[in-house]
Parts: sequence; C-alpha cells; structure tokens
Amino acid sequence: MIDSVLFIALPYLAIFVCVFGSIYRIRRQPITYSSLSSQFLENQGLLWGSVPWHIGILLILLGHFIAFLMPSLWQGAMSHAVVLAGVESLGLGLAIVCTVGLVVLGVRRITSARIQAVTSGMDLIVLLLLLAQVGLGLATAVMYRSGALWCSATTTPYVWSIVSFHPDMSFVQDMPVIIKGHIVGAWLLILLTPFSRLIHMFAVPFQYLFRPPQQVVWTDPRRQEAAVETLSEEESRRHFLKASVGISSGLLLLGIGVTDKLARFFFGPRLSQKEEAELMQFRLDRLKLTAEQKQLELERQESPYILVGELADLSPDEGKYFIDYAMLPAMAFKGEDGLPLLLSAKCTHLGCTVGNKVDDKGKILCPCHLSYFDIKSGEPNPNSPAKLPLPHIGWVLMDTRGNVLVSRTASGQTKGSADQAALAGARVYIAKSLAEETT
Amino acid sequence: MKNGTAFGALAHFLQERFPVDKMNFHSMVEKKEVPVHSMSWGYYTGGLTLFFFIIQVVTGLLLLFYYQPTVSDAYASVEYITKYVTGGALIRNIHSWSSSCMILFAMIHMITAFAMKAFEKPREITWIAGVLLLFITFTFGFTGYLLPWNQIAVNASKVGLQSVEAAGQYLPGQLSQLPRMAIETFQGEASVGQSTLGRFYAMHVVLLPMAIAALLGLHLLSVQLHGMSQGVDEPPRKVEKFFPVFFFKDVSLWSAVFLILFVIASTVPFDSFLPFPLLEPYNAMGSTPPGIKPEWYFYFVYYPLEMLPFWVILLASNIAVVVLLLTPWIFRGTSRRTLRYISLAASAYLVVITLFGQDILHMVKPGF
Repeated sequence: MIDSVLFIALPYLAIFVCVFGSIYRIRRQPITYSSLSSQFLENQGLLWGSVPWHIGILLILLGHFIAFLMPSLWQGAMSHAVVLAGVESLGLGLAIVCTVGLVVLGVRRITSARIQAVTSGMDLIVLLLLLAQVGLGLATAVMYRSGALWCSATTTPYVWSIVSFHPDMSFVQDMPVIIKGHIVGAWLLILLTPFSRLIHMFAVPFQYLFRPPQQVVWTDPRRQEAAVETLSEEESRRHFLKASVGISSGLLLLGIGVTDKLARFFFGPRLSQKEEAELMQFRLDRLKLTAEQKQLELERQESPYILVGELADLSPDEGKYFIDYAMLPAMAFKGEDGLPLLLSAKCTHLGCTVGNKVDDKGKILCPCHLSYFDIKSGEPNPNSPAKLPLPHIGWVLMDTRGNVLVSRTASGQTKGSADQAALAGARVYIAKSLAEETT
Repeated sequence: MKNGTAFGALAHFLQERFPVDKMNFHSMVEKKEVPVHSMSWGYYTGGLTLFFFIIQVVTGLLLLFYYQPTVSDAYASVEYITKYVTGGALIRNIHSWSSSCMILFAMIHMITAFAMKAFEKPREITWIAGVLLLFITFTFGFTGYLLPWNQIAVNASKVGLQSVEAAGQYLPGQLSQLPRMAIETFQGEASVGQSTLGRFYAMHVVLLPMAIAALLGLHLLSVQLHGMSQGVDEPPRKVEKFFPVFFFKDVSLWSAVFLILFVIASTVPFDSFLPFPLLEPYNAMGSTPPGIKPEWYFYFVYYPLEMLPFWVILLASNIAVVVLLLTPWIFRGTSRRTLRYISLAASAYLVVITLFGQDILHMVKPGF
C-alpha cells in the first residue's frame, strides 16, 4: 500500500504540481522566478560551493536523462566494460564534487550572518533534501555497482511506465531501500520545485552564450574607457568558458584513449601458443648464431689452425667467406695455379664486407662505395674510393691425416709442393703462426 | 694583480649573462614580451624542437620497457614491440618520425636564430649551448640508429665510424693511429659488435639525456632571462605577452603538430622508405648488402664525402664547428641583411644536397 503511494501517487502528484505550479508562479510572480542570488552578500564561499555543485549536478542529471530517454543507445554503450567503468568512475567523481559543493554551500548558509538574514525555511529544506539525495545516490553507486547497466531493466522502464500513463511499480518494488529512497527523493524534489528556489532551473540564461557582446557607448571619455574594459573582460570570460569546455572534453577523450592503450602496453601481449613457439624459435636461432660466433672467437684464440674448407670446394669465380684470426671477414678462392687464394674481405675504404662474385675482369666489388679489387693482387681500381689493396692471408694445405703439404705466407712465399693427386683431398687452413707473422 | 683583473672581467662577463636580479618569476615569465614582425615565426621553431624532444623522452621510456640491448635479442625485441605489444608499432613509429622532426627543427631553429642575429650580446651562451644541443641531437640520432640491429643499422654505423679513421692518414707518426684508437675506444672493440651496442645503448638512454637536460636547462634559462631577441633591425611596433598570449599560441601549435605527427606515424611506417633486405637482422658472416646509406640528416656530410677528397671534408667540417661555436664573436658586426643571405645560402645547400644528393652523386660519379 505504502509502495503504491510512494511510487505511483507521489510521482503523478509531483509532476502535476511541478508543471502547473511552475507555470502559475512564472506567470503570476515573474520576479521570484530566479535563483534568488546571494552573490552580492557573500562571494568567496559561493564560488567554491556553487560552481562545483552545479558542474557536478548538471553532468549527473544529463547522465540520468540520457539513460532514461535513450535506453537502447545507453545500454549498447554500457555493454563495453571500458565505457561502463569510465561512466561509473566519472559519475562517482562528479557525485563527490557535488557533495563538496553542497557542504560548502550549507556551511556558508549557516555561518554567514548576511546570508542568514535572507535564508528561508524552504531553502534549508531544499538544501537538506539535496544533500540526502546526493548521499543516497553515492551510496547506491558504491553499494550496488554498475547502476548504469542495471538501470535499463529497472528504473528506466519504471520511469517510462509513469510518463506513458501505464504505471508499473513492479520494476522497482523489490529494490533495496537505499535505491527506493533515492527514487522517492527525486519525486519530492520535483514536487517542491514550484515552491522553492529550485524553480530557477527553468531560467537558465543560455542566450548569454550566443548573443553578441553588448557594447555600451558612453559620451563621457572616462566612462568610455571603463566600458571597453568591461567589454573585453566579458569577452574573455566567454572565450574562457568555450575554450575550457573544448579543452576539457578533448583532454577527457585523449585521457580515455591514452589510458586504455597505455594500460594494455604495460600489460603486455598475450600470445597464442603458436605465436609463442614461433617467437621462441626465432630467438633461439639468433642465440645459436651468437653462440656460433663466440665459438669461432674462442677457436681463434686457442687453435693453431682453422679450417677454411676443402680445396676441391673452392672456386675461382665465387669466394667462400670465412672469419680470419682477427675475427674479420675474409674469403677464399682457387687461384690459377690450383692452390688457394685467400684475401681479406674487409674493404680498405670504410670496412664494408666485399662481395664474393668475381666478374669477367677478375675483380670483386665492394657494394658500399663501388671499389673494384683485383683478386690476384688485391689492388683496387685506380679511381676507386679505396686506395689500399685487400691484404692476402697466409694459408696451409694439409692432407686428411694432418700432414702439411704446402703453405704460403701473406707476402706470397710458398713452402713445399704437391702433385695433383695429393691435392685432391687436401684441406685449406689458416694458421695462427702465419697470422701473427703479418701483424 | 693581473689575475685579479682577469677574474674581475670573467665575473663581469658572467654577471651580464646571468643577471641574478632578473632571476624571478616576474621578469622571466610575467614581464617577458615577444616582438611581432615578419620573422616572428622563427620564435616557434625552438619550442617545436623542445616539443619533439618531450615526445622522444616519453616514447623512448615506453620502448625501454621491451627493448633488449644484446646482439642476439635486440632485433627480436624490436620485432616483438612492433608485432605483438599493443600500440608498440605506433610508439616506435612516433619515436622514429619524431626523431627526424626534432633534428629538422633543431636545424631550422639554428638557421633562423642566426638570420635574426639572436646570438648578440648578452646571448652568446644561449647560442653556444644551442650549438652543443644540436651536436648532442645528432649523436642521439647516430646512437639510436644502431639499436634495432638490422643490416642497415649495423652497416651504416660501421661505415660512419670507419670514415673517421681516414683522418689518421693526415697525422704524423704515431699520431696517425689516434683516430683508429679513438674509434675503437668509442665502439669498445675492433669492429661494431656487442660492446658497441651496449655503449651506444648506454649513451642513447642515459648519458645523452643527462647531457641534453643540463644544456637545455642552461639554454632555456638564458632564453627566459634575456627575453626574445629583437630579430629585426627596427624596434618592433607591436609586442605580445609571452604569458599567456604567446604561450598559448605555442601550445596550440604543438597540438596541431602532434595531430599531424600522430596521423603520419599511424599510417606511414618509417621503415617503408628502405628496401627490404636492409631491415633483415644483421648477419655478421655475409657480405654487406648494397644501398647502405646514413639517415637523411647526415646527407649534407655523406654526399660530399662520397664526391670529394677526404681532407676537404675534414677541413670543412672542422672549420664549420669552430665557426658555429665562435659565431657570436665572428659575426658581431655583420648586418642582419648579410646574415639572412648567409642563412639562405646555407639552407639552399642543405635542401639541395638532402633532396638531390643522390642525383648529383650520380652525375659526378656514374655507376652510383
């Protein structure tokens, strides 16, 4: 019984009284249809109370109205977890801003003697009611989370049922008492609108934002100056207002985007097993390459001979790359005499690795600055950027049992000789002793 | 007694450059005014450079979370950033685009400051700090370029470092080894390898940022202390307040520029100007791939290096450095008109060699 009074009778009474009462008051007592500003009497407290309160409550009411007027759109937006969390935290923050503003306004109304003089009983009732309403809203937001989502199955259809004259309180009947209190508080505030200063919500001077600035023309030069100043002050206030709306909404959007991306950036990717495996394989290959290189380095520090390759595998047209004792690139060819021809592959110009394909003039090319080197002498072409020849590298030819057949120093002195038959299975080595000789 | 006067002169010099009585909010911010004239756009170039530097710091810090400075992992970690990390490709791309923009605007800023004669007394220290900042910015570019450890990065760094070694041939006796030893100390080993990567990484993320922060502090302090230089010969008819008018114009410009940078960075990968094999992981065993070139901001020294004898470049670059550092004294008496012509000539050289260097090289040396 009491529920039908609170959720069906009270709403219709409130709406009826609000609409007709406000019209009556606006027509009969147009002077009183305002916020009864007390800015004159006290300014400082008003600034820190009124501004946060109005910013907070206007945005919160806007949220309520969108949820009620465009339920499907609202529900669609709220089904994204990020949007829901954003709206919830924004609402909570605004409610706190509201509360702070209201408390400041209340304290001001109680402590300032000048304000006391113009305060009516209704003012205090409205103030207390608003405080209670914001408190209940805050409690709802904290205790029954995701209100932006559950409203679309409860309060929104309830409000729709009221305004479409098919009242159905079953949507809200079983709700917790805090939420019920919040709903009743809303109807009470609507009911009180025509009897209190709340009526000023119908007197918002929106046209101030768009009307052209008024210029007062004075004939007195002193006053003229003052008027211009007032004008520019008004202008700048207007610009400031517009700019702050633009900047804050821009920053809000940017903040949401950046936070979303940054959170995910630090959260790190969650890879599928296949991706993980691919990545692991790639890293392993790179590690193997590094390990191989370290192995080469160690080998060059310890062993007296390093294998370059089988003599039979060497070709006069294409060099075989290897790493010499100084860990620098080098390449091996087969010379005209059938013996190996070993050259440094580090270009004497700027240290690029020289290409290994021999052209028809018996030259190899450094791709960086187009120096051609003769493989027999190592000399660069006269007009090449490189001026010094690629140094030769000494080598040792051994048979499979490790007997030295032939060796040649970097400067070209050959020791020993071998017939074709012996050369057939021979292997080419570079020797530590020969490398040290050159340095 | 002579010492005393020398010291006195130094104290006087410093007093004029760092007037302590002006070191307060009122004269450095509230009272500061920016002249309005035909060259006023020059006043925005420094702020833009600063803006790109801030972007570099922020994106660089983000990249630090995933990058690994070892020869086996560097390439893989960069690939991981671009392929898997949310927003990673965008952040890396902003970092590379913004690095180029920062260098571009640092150069424009220097040229305009020169043309406006902004180095005049008492702004000598501002100028010198600025020149050093430009050098640090180039070093940032050079060290950062190696970090992805792909073919172009390692090979271009090798060539760049090696080219300094050629200076040895002009030095007598034992000294001829000096450049080689300096390079090997710089890169930590005989060739570009793990030690080089580690050192470049340390420089890029710790040493250079600290150096740039210190110099930037000095630079900005001097700018705020002495105010904007007049920039033109006639005293300006109009001025605007630095704060809030100029400051907000600056910030609006930054937002517009950020929008452009963001759109470019999210649509055009910085790497897309390079042929594919250059972006392969570096292979120490293979030959150097063709097409190794430094970044565009080194073209002004790279192409001459390809075309002219080394000693010409060596001499010219040494002279250029000395002239830049001594500019406030060398050009003390030069008129703004002449300075403008010099700046125009220098800009023309930079633009032509950067845009058409390849074609010029092709004409001079067919085959390239």
